[in-house]
Amino acid sequence: MKDTKQTSVSATLAAATCSLLGSVPAAPVQAQEEPKWDFNTALLYYGEDNDRVQDLSLNILGKRYFVDDRSLTLGLTVDTLTGATPNGAIRQGVPQTFTRPSGNSAYTIPANELPLDDTFKDTRVALSAGWEQPLGRLWKTSVGFSGSFEYDYTHLGLNGGLSRDFNNRNTTVSAGLAIGRDEWDPVGGTPIPFSPMLDVGDTGNKTGTETKDVVDAVLGVTQVISRNLLVQVNYSFSNSSGYLTDPYKVLSLVDGTTGDTITRVPAPGAEGPSHEFRFERRPDDRTKHSIYTQAKYYMGGKVLDASYRYMTDDWDIDSHTLDLRLRWPVGERSYLEPHLRFYTQSEADFYTISLVDGVQLPTFASADYRLGNFDAITAGLKYGWKTRGGSEMSVRAELYQQRGSIPGNLLIGNQVGRETYPDLDAIIVQFSYRFGW
Amino acid sequence: MVAALADREAARSVSVEAGQDCLVGHFDAMASPCEILIESDDRGEAARLAQIAATEAWRIEDKFSRYRTGNVVAQINGSRGKPVEVDEETASLLDFAATLHTLSDGCFDITSGVLREVWTFDGGDRIPAPEAVRDILQRVGWDKVRWQRPVLTMRPGMQVDLGGIGKEYAVDRVAGKLAKATTHSALVNFGGDLAVTRAPRKRDAWRVGIEPVTGNQPQKGTILEIRTGALATSGDARRFLLKDGVRYGHILDPRSGWPVEGAPRSVTVAADTCTQAGMLSTLAMLKGYTAEAFLDGERVRYWCRR
Repeated sequence: MKDTKQTSVSATLAAATCSLLGSVPAAPVQAQEEPKWDFNTALLYYGEDNDRVQDLSLNILGKRYFVDDRSLTLGLTVDTLTGATPNGAIRQGVPQTFTRPSGNSAYTIPANELPLDDTFKDTRVALSAGWEQPLGRLWKTSVGFSGSFEYDYTHLGLNGGLSRDFNNRNTTVSAGLAIGRDEWDPVGGTPIPFSPMLDVGDTGNKTGTETKDVVDAVLGVTQVISRNLLVQVNYSFSNSSGYLTDPYKVLSLVDGTTGDTITRVPAPGAEGPSHEFRFERRPDDRTKHSIYTQAKYYMGGKVLDASYRYMTDDWDIDSHTLDLRLRWPVGERSYLEPHLRFYTQSEADFYTISLVDGVQLPTFASADYRLGNFDAITAGLKYGWKTRGGSEMSVRAELYQQRGSIPGNLLIGNQVGRETYPDLDAIIVQFSYRFGW
Repeated sequence: MVAALADREAARSVSVEAGQDCLVGHFDAMASPCEILIESDDRGEAARLAQIAATEAWRIEDKFSRYRTGNVVAQINGSRGKPVEVDEETASLLDFAATLHTLSDGCFDITSGVLREVWTFDGGDRIPAPEAVRDILQRVGWDKVRWQRPVLTMRPGMQVDLGGIGKEYAVDRVAGKLAKATTHSALVNFGGDLAVTRAPRKRDAWRVGIEPVTGNQPQKGTILEIRTGALATSGDARRFLLKDGVRYGHILDPRSGWPVEGAPRSVTVAADTCTQAGMLSTLAMLKGYTAEAFLDGERVRYWCRR
């Protein structure tokens, strides 16, 4: 716990004690709380309006400390996702029929409604393990493993980190590296990019599994500015390569003048798409750079936590995130924490609304609304309290609102006025419980 | 007088019993139960070490207790304004107290004991009159003392009390003696202020409970593991006054004569020596509301109860 250069009271006291006892201490102190498990558990509900995605997530993180500040962290997350999500096709004045991703059946969307794929249903189990330990007095190192398993998606990752304290422990420089491999094994196979959506039972455009590799690196500095102010600046780099396309998203193939989707007739006796849809295609490489700054300001019991992130990538998406939290003590053992988050992003360069029939297809295209131009606001409130036994509990409720716009030059003919960005409202409710065992 | 002395001698006995993978020597000193945990299964050695510990603890108690007559503290407190020449050990303690006084901007003061003439922290509601406190402050303040090693001169009516240093000092002295007397690891625990002589071998660390001192709330005690160094705790939730809904803790600010506001109920600090740990926990208590901020700034490991 001691530094090479001690603060004034400790240093003077150490010298005075030394002359009082006529000896130097036998050994530097090594004392800590008895190793035990520290559990952080949370139950989170995320629900989008209009029967879109609902997620119920249980999170358990257990940390055990050993002598010499070494610690083991084990994590488990179980998610269940249900609901519908936009499949990428545009609205039409007539009903539209789509083959489900599984290829086993079809679903029909009424006229003028946004096509949503309601087959979205998944259970995800994620596991993580990490080991952290000091190396000498000023260095700290960590290694970890993560794995996430869904019936159509698997992620495996390794990570490591190193940090060093400087300047009387007022400055910490840290570096981290994570590598991961993800594998898509979509139900019914992975569609060949830009291939048409086929009739039920026809798997002519489906292949097997696809993979992507992800490398993330982060370099950060944390600086204690004063007793009240802590500042952190991080740069992070992320590269994904391989299959980055969403196998469940399509684009409507439209008439270049009217903007309406080209109609299609399923094979005799077969059930299948009523219109021409093409599976999306994204670049097989994406590099992101981001700068993150955070300041924590302590003012008489209250804590203001403000952060800003700027992200830019070679898909031409730029985003800005501003996050503000204020922890306000209420009584001796509880607090209120209002939270505001503002997010804005520009669209990817290959983001479009539809593909035009009869002209050469672009190299890449996606109508995924998440790659579009949108702003989002999150506003919430958290109430936390400490029990007499030393456990901590909190409840958090937040509203999320996402509003986007489609650039005018992407709209053709009848699409103008009919096609709008699929706005999104969601609520988030979380209950957390932290306890020792 | 003779009977009282006999009682004291009778209470001064040392016993040894088996603990968990260690032997434990028990005795009473400085109004606290004292124990010496030794990582050894040799009862003879344990008894010998416990005797060494008790002898040193009793020596320090006899020499510096303000409840004893005929010792150096009694001599100083009875000096009625006359200079008193003290021995080397006492001089070292007074030097230490002088340093702490400067270091704490006057908060830590071995002459503040006379404030007890007006403050009695018994859980009752007897708050002294402001005039009474003001009067007694005439007799409080290390800055009113002339200390030129080895000669101390105090105003008549002033008193010194080394109780704020004595126990931690005794723990370190005993730990030092035991470190020389045995190669086994020993834990010296005088009523919660403790030090380890050297890192244990058969176990990772000694396990020590911090007493739950939050009197009116049952709270699970914290178990600490200590491998080397020392721990000291300041604070006692049972010692307070309550009047008109205001709780007056027993930590007095010698500059004002009134209790420090917002002091934690107890502070435990880990440091290389018990003396350092004890002084840091005492200084933290004297900081009141900013106790934790002070300890954070000193970058020591601590456990605070409010």
